Amino acid sequence: MPYVIAKPCINVKDGACVEACPVGCIHCREADEQYYIDPEDCIDCGLCIPVCPVHAIFPAQKLPGKWESFARKNAGYFEMREPSTHSVKTL
Amino acid sequence: MAAKNESQMRTARIVGPQERVDDRDTPHPRVARGELGERLRQVRSTPSKDPFRRISVSTSATDPNNCFGWIMGNTPDGAVSPQRMEVPDPARMSEKIKEVAKFFGADVVGITYLDQAYVYSHRARTSQARGEKAGEEIDIPHRFAICMGIAGDYEMYKANPSRISDAEYGLGNARMCFSSFNLAAYIREMGYPALGHHFIRMDVNPIPLAVMAGLGELGRNGLLINGRYGPRLHLYVVTTDLPLVVDHPVDIGVEDVCKRCMKCARTCPSGSIPFGGKEVHNGVERWRINVDSCYKLRAFHTDKWETCLTCIQSCCYNKPDTWWHNLALWLIEAPPIFLRPLFVKPLVWIDDLIWGKKPSYRVKWLDYDSTYTPEAKPCKVPGCKVHGPDGKAKKAQAAKRRFSVQIGT
Repeated sequence: MPYVIAKPCINVKDGACVEACPVGCIHCREADEQYYIDPEDCIDCGLCIPVCPVHAIFPAQKLPGKWESFARKNAGYFEMREPSTHSVKTL
Repeated sequence: MAAKNESQMRTARIVGPQERVDDRDTPHPRVARGELGERLRQVRSTPSKDPFRRISVSTSATDPNNCFGWIMGNTPDGAVSPQRMEVPDPARMSEKIKEVAKFFGADVVGITYLDQAYVYSHRARTSQARGEKAGEEIDIPHRFAICMGIAGDYEMYKANPSRISDAEYGLGNARMCFSSFNLAAYIREMGYPALGHHFIRMDVNPIPLAVMAGLGELGRNGLLINGRYGPRLHLYVVTTDLPLVVDHPVDIGVEDVCKRCMKCARTCPSGSIPFGGKEVHNGVERWRINVDSCYKLRAFHTDKWETCLTCIQSCCYNKPDTWWHNLALWLIEAPPIFLRPLFVKPLVWIDDLIWGKKPSYRVKWLDYDSTYTPEAKPCKVPGCKVHGPDGKAKKAQAAKRRFSVQIGT
């Protein structure tokens, strides 16, 4: 179950989570209002949680009810991206 | 200091009934089924970019016949000799079999009863040569488990995570195939049934058996910690009915050190090792790592390395076999338990001072350099500001190297 960045990140965008993430699954463009976690790449390590200064990151299954929509918002952010780069090149 | 029975094992206390684990529920089969994500499944089933890796793991090879482990995993066991040697003195036989195991390459050997709780319930792999099918029940009626460990090279493991430590890790896996096959074959030729269990064909869980056999104690990082070699042991087992005398679990102070050291938890790149207390899982109270996040991490770094050994490399027990290491071991082990913190605290402080709270080395070997950093791939999110050339993610990756080592020429 991936992690989700919720409302407290909006307009804060501290970015400490990016430095903590070991797989680079947190993304943000200049114009975006918050950071987003790619649910396909997230390895559920939880390293981003303690470093977030505004406590905006939750496991998807423990997301507070009032911010449930952020699970869809995080996943939806990556549906707009280029085709998946997951396929590994063969030799 | 030998603990008298299993109830005295301090880092892995048995507190309830234990159920046999299905080998199909262990990480490698789960990855093969895609249960840990499609990305990881693809990585595991795609040839590696490094030939050392390709000869050590069949799923990473272009042809599995280039992988010694795969060949040994698909080699039938020989018949038991009808001419059985008499064993009038099991204690003498135990000494002899340990010497033979060392002759075949083992660095440490111990013997315990084969507790059926540590025999997997069902098989995960099919081997036509052995007539074994995935999904069938595993039945190993043997009485004893000869537990062995082959130590990885201390200098090569310093290079973790890199192709250098990958190569050494792969060699250890190949050596355990050779060693387990030879010892099992030797016992069969003495007229007693024996099965070799190595990383490709492991019908038993080697860690609890090794703890019971007194090879070391279970550490915070979920690995066996041996006094002399720390956690850098490749564990393997030969189960047999050869009459032997068992060894007993030991108390070398791992409980006292792991409570205070935390180096593995601090350095684990995926945060998979707990800082906190123990949990009860399947009847055993122990520190429990997050196996899934530990495994998933490797899918993201295959350009640089494929086996993360960080918790092994950083462990304060992972030291060369020197007088000062042996002195430290003695200082931890010798005092009564209530006095150990007096020695452990300053020793951990000295360890942090000399090797660092997060040990990191630069190692060169052949054309490999452990600090090699592959060219960054373009971010999958066009316009992403965090993974660009000036992004925060890039800056966070630059690790400080405390020592530099050149191996060979």
